[in-house]
Amino acid sequence: MRAKAKLYPKEAARLLREKPGVREAVTGATLHFDRNRLKAYAEVPIAEWRERAKAVKDHALSHLDQYLELAEKRLKENGVQVHYAEEPEDAHRLLREIVERRGVKRAVKAKSMLTEELGVNPLLASLGVEVYETDLGEYLIQLLGEPPSHIVGPAIHLSLKEIQTLFHERFGTPLDASPEALAQVARKVLREAFLTAELGISGANFLVAETGTLALMENEGNIRLSTSLPKVHVAFVGIEKLLPRFQDLALFLPLTARAATGQRLSTFVSLIQGPARKGEEGPEEVHVVLVDHGRTALLADPEAWETLRCLRCGACLNACPVYRQTGGHPYGYVYSGPIGAVLDPGLLSLEEAYPLPYASTLCGACLEACPVKIPIPKLLLTWRHRAVAEGLSPAWERAMLAAYRRVMESPALYRLFSKALRGLPLPQDLLPLLRAWTEGRGPLKPSPKPFHQLWREMEEGHGR
Amino acid sequence: MDARTRILNRVRRALEGRPKALLPEHPHSPFPEDPIPLLLARLAENGAEPHLLSPEGAQALLRELAQGLPGVAFGQGVPTPFREGLNPLPPEEAPLGVSWALFAVAETGTLALSSADGRRAQLLPPTHLVLVERERVYPTLLQAFQDLKELPSALGLHSGPSKSADIGQVMVKGVHGPGRLIVAVLT
Repeated sequence: MRAKAKLYPKEAARLLREKPGVREAVTGATLHFDRNRLKAYAEVPIAEWRERAKAVKDHALSHLDQYLELAEKRLKENGVQVHYAEEPEDAHRLLREIVERRGVKRAVKAKSMLTEELGVNPLLASLGVEVYETDLGEYLIQLLGEPPSHIVGPAIHLSLKEIQTLFHERFGTPLDASPEALAQVARKVLREAFLTAELGISGANFLVAETGTLALMENEGNIRLSTSLPKVHVAFVGIEKLLPRFQDLALFLPLTARAATGQRLSTFVSLIQGPARKGEEGPEEVHVVLVDHGRTALLADPEAWETLRCLRCGACLNACPVYRQTGGHPYGYVYSGPIGAVLDPGLLSLEEAYPLPYASTLCGACLEACPVKIPIPKLLLTWRHRAVAEGLSPAWERAMLAAYRRVMESPALYRLFSKALRGLPLPQDLLPLLRAWTEGRGPLKPSPKPFHQLWREMEEGHGR
Repeated sequence: MDARTRILNRVRRALEGRPKALLPEHPHSPFPEDPIPLLLARLAENGAEPHLLSPEGAQALLRELAQGLPGVAFGQGVPTPFREGLNPLPPEEAPLGVSWALFAVAETGTLALSSADGRRAQLLPPTHLVLVERERVYPTLLQAFQDLKELPSALGLHSGPSKSADIGQVMVKGVHGPGRLIVAVLT
């Protein structure tokens, strides 16, 4: 996927101006997710769960070379074909080979953010393969030609009315069709695709090194179907997805479900060990593609490596007051919200993702929501420091802050400026833009004496 | 040098001098009290229809469910007495699928289904009846995983009917998988 993160401020403003309904839909959905998460967290010793999950992930990441080798060994023993991909082109080459060798005409896809990174859908389309996104939300945005706007709920920015209109135009359903009726239409189209597709494509929530197990979580059943019905299953797995032991899943599956949707466990979990065994239903070929695409560079980063613990649960998006205003589209890359703001500069480059670390009020809600305690607020500041050090911030901002610093460092200049500023017209007279602020508030009236002077007078008063 | 070597080399270089984090032990599982009431309660909360029945009772339930249907799709592990008098259909055509679960987990209201039992009957029919023996019910997911001796090619954990809220945040059942999950815990 081509990143357009540079345009974030403009795109956010444009979206709020042109599509006010998005804000309403996204705020409603994220508040709902967030409330469910809080309830689900309160039911278990969540502090202990999060601490343990962080420790397991840190262990896996600090031994990543060993676990990668172990996972590869186990996967191969299980009859899985293992591939490594550094860049999207590596993934494309593999898919091209499979499509040609197996005569693939149709592919069903389970929701995967990594395949968005790798541009799997455009590649398959260019090979003449019909691609069906099978997660209902993902199917909706595929029909609209839009990217996902949320890690877990890709279509949360759409209102029921927009979906009714879309289905009316595509399938001739009535404009007031119920969500049930619309879901039945999608089920019918996609059921046919499941039964006829030669290729199933998925991501993975976890890859267990000890057993070579792929773990996938969902609520609809489309992942179970995508990995069970087609004769070939290809799973794209970021190298940070490794867990050491099968039993670690007993922590990570419920923790992810509680963080993402507030469930005790997602409705369906697929734990895949390999292709169908003799006499069994299931895929003849299973491929696992271990993907780098910027992850080793992040791992080498002395601070930002902690983002690799991310479980892609979306809890920080739901908790974020900035994300809630626009949803994910203005962020301009696969990962949006707080985690996107600290992950994208590492996966792309800080120059390409420059404005994203500023898309935050630093309120810290993301850190409290994060099931693996990624220090997102601290990392937002880290990226901002780096942006300034690399000279990425705009010239006017640098000039203004340099002037501010000069004034603040010199008591004489400070006194001079505070006196001069009190002589200027008041901001509410100066800027009609501030009307929204001044409405309902009294006028801003500067004190006749500056704080410095008041303080001195108070001290002198005490001394007497 | 191939992609694998280059990636592994970069990982090793990145980890040079990085402190190695310790792997924590698994927590102690709570004392295993009778997990059946919790399983039944959690399944109901998840939107499933749980029953605690004798094998004969479960067979009667199955016959009742199959009444008026053209036939039933069976998982490989479903014992013969459950199949008697019913017309077996391929899962693509059957309105009802019947599976024999490997185990169940009370705390999450979950049934574990093995690929050895056959995957289509677990996924394609709109209604899914799952049979599980009482002795195969674990209090926690960790206890179930600790007891698991071998893994099938695919283990499916089902904790309720298929659902989605992707259309206007309204919960809809039976999106791709079965919209109705009926569970019989066999005494």
